[in-house]
Amino acid sequence: MQQQLSVKHLLGIKNISSEDIRLIFDTADNFKEVINRPIKKVPSLRDITIANVFFENSTRTRLSFELAEKRLSADVINFSSSNSSVKKGETLLDTVNNILAMKVDMVVMRHSSPGAPHFLSRHIKANIVNAGDGTHEHPTQALLDTFSIREKLGEVEGKKVVIIGDILHSRVALSNIFALQKLGAEVMVCGPNTLLPKYVRELGVKVELDVDKALQWCDVANVLRIQLERQQMKFFPSLREYSLYYGINKARLQKLDKQIVVMHPGPINRGVELSSDVADADNAIILDQVENGVAVRMAVLYLLAANK
Amino acid sequence: MRISIKNVQIAAKGFNPGESYHVSVVDGKIAEIGPSSSLAEAELEIDGSGCWLSAGWCDLRAHFNDPGMEHKEDLESGALAAADGGFTAVALLPNTEPALDNKKGIRYILSGNSQRLTQLYPLGAVSIGAKGEELAEMMDLRQAGALAFTDGTRPITNTALLLKSLQYLLHFNGLLINHPTEASLVRGGQMHEGINSTLLGMKGMPVLAEEMAIERDLRLLEYAGGRLHFSGISTAAGVDLVRNAKARGLAVSCDVSVAHLVFTDNALLDFDTNYKVNPPLRQEEDRKALIDGLKDGTIDAIVTDHQPQDTESKKLEFDLAEFGMMGLQTFYASLLKAGVLDASLLAEKVSHAPRRLLGLPSIEIKAGESANLTLFSPEFEWQFTEETNFSKGINSPFFNQTLRGKALGVIANGMHHFHSAVVVKTNG
Repeated sequence: MQQQLSVKHLLGIKNISSEDIRLIFDTADNFKEVINRPIKKVPSLRDITIANVFFENSTRTRLSFELAEKRLSADVINFSSSNSSVKKGETLLDTVNNILAMKVDMVVMRHSSPGAPHFLSRHIKANIVNAGDGTHEHPTQALLDTFSIREKLGEVEGKKVVIIGDILHSRVALSNIFALQKLGAEVMVCGPNTLLPKYVRELGVKVELDVDKALQWCDVANVLRIQLERQQMKFFPSLREYSLYYGINKARLQKLDKQIVVMHPGPINRGVELSSDVADADNAIILDQVENGVAVRMAVLYLLAANK
Repeated sequence: MRISIKNVQIAAKGFNPGESYHVSVVDGKIAEIGPSSSLAEAELEIDGSGCWLSAGWCDLRAHFNDPGMEHKEDLESGALAAADGGFTAVALLPNTEPALDNKKGIRYILSGNSQRLTQLYPLGAVSIGAKGEELAEMMDLRQAGALAFTDGTRPITNTALLLKSLQYLLHFNGLLINHPTEASLVRGGQMHEGINSTLLGMKGMPVLAEEMAIERDLRLLEYAGGRLHFSGISTAAGVDLVRNAKARGLAVSCDVSVAHLVFTDNALLDFDTNYKVNPPLRQEEDRKALIDGLKDGTIDAIVTDHQPQDTESKKLEFDLAEFGMMGLQTFYASLLKAGVLDASLLAEKVSHAPRRLLGLPSIEIKAGESANLTLFSPEFEWQFTEETNFSKGINSPFFNQTLRGKALGVIANGMHHFHSAVVVKTNG
């Protein structure tokens, strides 16, 4: 059994192997047990300083990382700016090098540019964790999503997972596709045609425009947040129409001849992509995802710290 | 001054490939070409063995950023890079600051030519500021010395403006050069739209954008008449459209940038901004179609599309970086990498055709003609480094690589420049 990650940075799921993913899962199992103890903290990263550098707004991902870091006893600093720093006259490289000059070991970065962490990894020494790079990847989200499927259904291999919503602008979708495929799941994407990348089939996924057919096919529905902020022009006529044709509600699920697992990366637009009666039902594992997020991120940070 | 180039193959009509010649140039004119060295003592003797001599190369598309952004390139650094790359003539894009939309700008470019080996020829802007809104004074620009008209890096998107430009240029049978892109389909685009852009989560620029622009422009050409040149064809579909238009007898021509003959969008998988160019690098089938188009005559010319950038414009997140790649000095080595090897094809695509399109006098290699020549070796190995880079740009994927093939000398405008590797003796 592999004991170390094959990479120094977590830039994307594309860049890691299925063995890496399984190692992260096994490590996360241990940490999940830890964070449910009365004393939730371990000293694993006691000498490590981690900077959370967020160039895009984020609440839950940043909180989840910060908590993971603190549970591992790392020293944590936070830097956030709603603009990419170049607009303020400082380049990304300068900003990060300034932070690293204060002797930081790892950088967790969210940035609006696809490939920003890859760019950084070529120029700096610290370990980098991609916490979302534009419309490219969000690897820890995909890890916690697949970890949650494994937890709920026993395994990921052979399961049918549909990702519903804005696939075109979604880093969660892309990373999930890679992770699910590496773990042997079947993947389908479903959404309005204008929100599906033209070449998405070449990724080896099924495409379905009819959400009811997609739900009937799947074991798990991962429902994405409709990201209006990432759209340069309107890709669908209205939220009302989206909600009517793609919103997941109890009536839709009751038509199925089986129970499916419902997931959402949050934050939920209640009544748009997901109705409250679905979001709060037993087969929705949305809060498990949040809990698992801390354990999975602890595992990622812990394993990367060993690969200096 | 007598320069003698010995044992060189000549890529021109009337000369046998595989046969070696001795060429002597006296005071800027070709004095003798013969099979043996029955030549007078020369002040500069060049060993041409393994090398080819062709008519001086002419680049139809380069951006020297002067005036306005001289920190990226200026006329002198650009001209030196051009001479080192084998070019004795370069047509410059009008996207300077201010744009080349007035005769002062045109004269500025031309004014230094008498002191330069490589002659710089300004392309006049079609529209004021090259902004695609109002027509520039093209007759006046022509009078001042603009050889053809284009908005350069900016495609002319306004259909009515393009129609008027074609009609207006008929006054003097001027050449309109357009970069074919349907702008609304590529807005925000970073690279070719395909599986790779999907994998990288980047907004793609579809082949469709080039196809639609070419189709539109050809319809306008059919309607208005005139001469139209597409600069930077990048797709197999684009090559087909131009091939068919030529078969229909339309006065259309096109060029391809050397980068598109060598690279595909696979080069972008690591987010290397050196490969961020516009039009974007396409796929292998496009690359092959471009090479076929060169061979069957659909594509008239190969251009460097030399677009130097500084560190501040390239050492950035991919979507924030500027488009463009340097191309002058590594031009010939790139062509060899692309498998475009034939010396006489090269002479046509890089010298004769571009000069014809610009209306420059044709170059003949025979005694009595003024010497406008490029010497190049397909075998010469060299490294492109900071020291050998004459341009101010930093954006070449070839830095610190060992390359095969290089231009080793140029003669033009009564001046010469030879690489030390081929100089046998001086001042003999």
